[in-house]
Amino acid sequence: MLALVAPSVLFIALFFVAPLGLFLYRSIDNSEVPGWLPRTTAALASWSGEGLPDEPAFRAVAEDLAALSGSTALPLLGRRLNHNIPGFRGLITGTGGRVDLAKPGRMREQLIAIDARWGEPAYWQTIRRERHVVTPFYLLSALDLRYGASGAIERAPAESAIFLGLLGRTLAISLVVTGLCVLLGFPLAVTMAGASPARANALLILVLIPFWTSLLVRSTAWVILLQNSGVVNQLLVGLGLAQKPIPLIFNRVGLYIAMVHVLLPFMVLPLYSVLRNIPPELMRAAASLGAPPAVAFLRVYVPQALPGLVAGASLVFVLALGYYVTPALVGGPGDQMIGYFIAYFTNTAVNWGMASALGTLLLLVVALIYLALGRVVGLNRLAVR
Amino acid sequence: MSKISRRWIALAAAALALVLAPPAVVAQTKLVVGNAGGSSADAERKVFYGPFASANKITIQEESFNQELAKIRSQVETGNLIWDMVSTTAINVATGCEEGLLEKVDWSKYFDPKVFRDVGGVSECGVPYLFVSGGLAYDGNRIKEAPKSWADFWNVRKWPGKRGLLYRAEQTFEIALMADGVPPAKAMEVLAAPGGPDRALKKLDEIKPHIHWWKNGAESINLLASGEVAMAYAWNGRVASANKTNNLNLKMELGAGHVSGCQYWAIMKGSKNKELAIKFIQYAVMAQNQADFVRVISYGPANRDAYALLSDQEKATLPGQHLDKASLQLGKLYLGFWLANGDSLLQRFVKFAAQ
Repeated sequence: MLALVAPSVLFIALFFVAPLGLFLYRSIDNSEVPGWLPRTTAALASWSGEGLPDEPAFRAVAEDLAALSGSTALPLLGRRLNHNIPGFRGLITGTGGRVDLAKPGRMREQLIAIDARWGEPAYWQTIRRERHVVTPFYLLSALDLRYGASGAIERAPAESAIFLGLLGRTLAISLVVTGLCVLLGFPLAVTMAGASPARANALLILVLIPFWTSLLVRSTAWVILLQNSGVVNQLLVGLGLAQKPIPLIFNRVGLYIAMVHVLLPFMVLPLYSVLRNIPPELMRAAASLGAPPAVAFLRVYVPQALPGLVAGASLVFVLALGYYVTPALVGGPGDQMIGYFIAYFTNTAVNWGMASALGTLLLLVVALIYLALGRVVGLNRLAVR
Repeated sequence: MSKISRRWIALAAAALALVLAPPAVVAQTKLVVGNAGGSSADAERKVFYGPFASANKITIQEESFNQELAKIRSQVETGNLIWDMVSTTAINVATGCEEGLLEKVDWSKYFDPKVFRDVGGVSECGVPYLFVSGGLAYDGNRIKEAPKSWADFWNVRKWPGKRGLLYRAEQTFEIALMADGVPPAKAMEVLAAPGGPDRALKKLDEIKPHIHWWKNGAESINLLASGEVAMAYAWNGRVASANKTNNLNLKMELGAGHVSGCQYWAIMKGSKNKELAIKFIQYAVMAQNQADFVRVISYGPANRDAYALLSDQEKATLPGQHLDKASLQLGKLYLGFWLANGDSLLQRFVKFAAQ
């Protein structure tokens, strides 16, 4: 028994749990700051955080930066601290190459002469706060929170607080898409389950076509169809159904259309496989026992379809949460989802802490939703039989 | 069903076998280049890769690279180099150079730096090879009275219709400041000064209901060609090639001020084909090849000697006469500002656009 299970358990541990754990750890990992500024972080541990630190701290930062000078660690440290305060990067790289440890006189004056920002408490407070190997900074940022000047946690200024809003929007869009997929997918799956094998296969192929089309081609096709001068609008205006073109794309409507188009197969396939196994005799039995068609459908058919419905809906929901290319191509500025920023932080900004924090947030929210769903529906019913 | 799936499995297995089969032994040296794909890669293939490869009896393999610095970083840090060189932006050249991801080369040994002076010169890790200008574009067949400035672009009463702008803080903020009366050459200076981003956002707010944000170059041309927008910020190469291939009459007013920058060749740190890559770069920035490249893609040449080889008609969408009206995407001020503030301003911008 154990020998049979061991390979798959090992596989999952190695290729799923371990990378996931590493990824989650990225959201609190802060080893760079104490690693590259060992003297400074030690010197600042005893500082109260008020005003400017003493001369030993200035000396320590000068020694740390001089040690990193010329290596690639200096700009990387700058990149790391720039996440906290825009401009920190320039302060670090600018100081590293110019500091002179042998120069007589106090280091405080020398550093402030190199860059006046060394005379501002905010930069020192940031290094002091980030002196440990782990940091809550990314997770706080993902929740639109930050440390204020007094050291207390406060809300980020309204103009740059975007992540909670994005998360809410991501959840809302995913929910609507899931709902639309249920509405469209259920009748389709019922039809397929009742159709002859040949016809069911034909329908299945139709459902699968969007699956085989490249994302860009699919999205561009929707743009051509739905834009103001597109086929659909020309038809509507030509037939006199609309006075002027209706905005169908680069807004929420266009996004729903494009996303439902792609995700419908994920709803239909699990549902179809469950519905196909519901014996038709049961509905006949219900009818023979006197149940009107609507009652028989609701009380006999739907409960048996539920596992497929729940499996399909959860699949669609989870996949929808991660969308960002489609919203970028067919959505408007009010339709961007959180995946856009995860991709931006991963690829362009190379801020993996932030990318990981946003991912962690998304993962937690999904886990909570599933727990709640499990409470309401019962976890055992979520399993596809 | 089971019959079908068995056939599929057989097909898939055959395909897999093809993929996994050991490739035929190729003795030729291979230079792997990461580039942006699309029409610019087509032009590069025609003018640079093809002729250089056959002249030197090597193969040049192209890989897709959409300027994700993370892709360069992961190859260099894991020591598993897939690419030898990349075509990339000034900001990536600067960061990649500083962080040790790109080779530092003494370019003055291989080139005459003077010919690159107009476009900011060579940098420690990169050589410019094309000059992209983003500027005011409109459809000459739809607009009778030509707009002359970014203030005209903002004037939605005189020129009704939507305005296409790039969904990004960088470039769009510079344009907004130009519309607010800042001379193009001073735009970066004003933006980097305290209150600069606020001023740009305030100006954008004036025409916000009329803005249609576009996210990729093809989209900007589509919007202009379909009449969805009356005017748009667009990149000159896109405009010129749309005119050529789709027979459009799009016009650009680069005299209104433009945001311009170079695309650079850079060599991946640790590439085994460094010498070959340098030789390739020398080939790609020769005046004659630069002029040929301009004829195919209509972006400006980085080597100023190429202008002398072009006809007046070929120079029509090039910024040659308006180089003084540029906000340049290079230099210490530009790089320092966007490296420090890129993330936080993108957040502000996305929030602003969504409201």
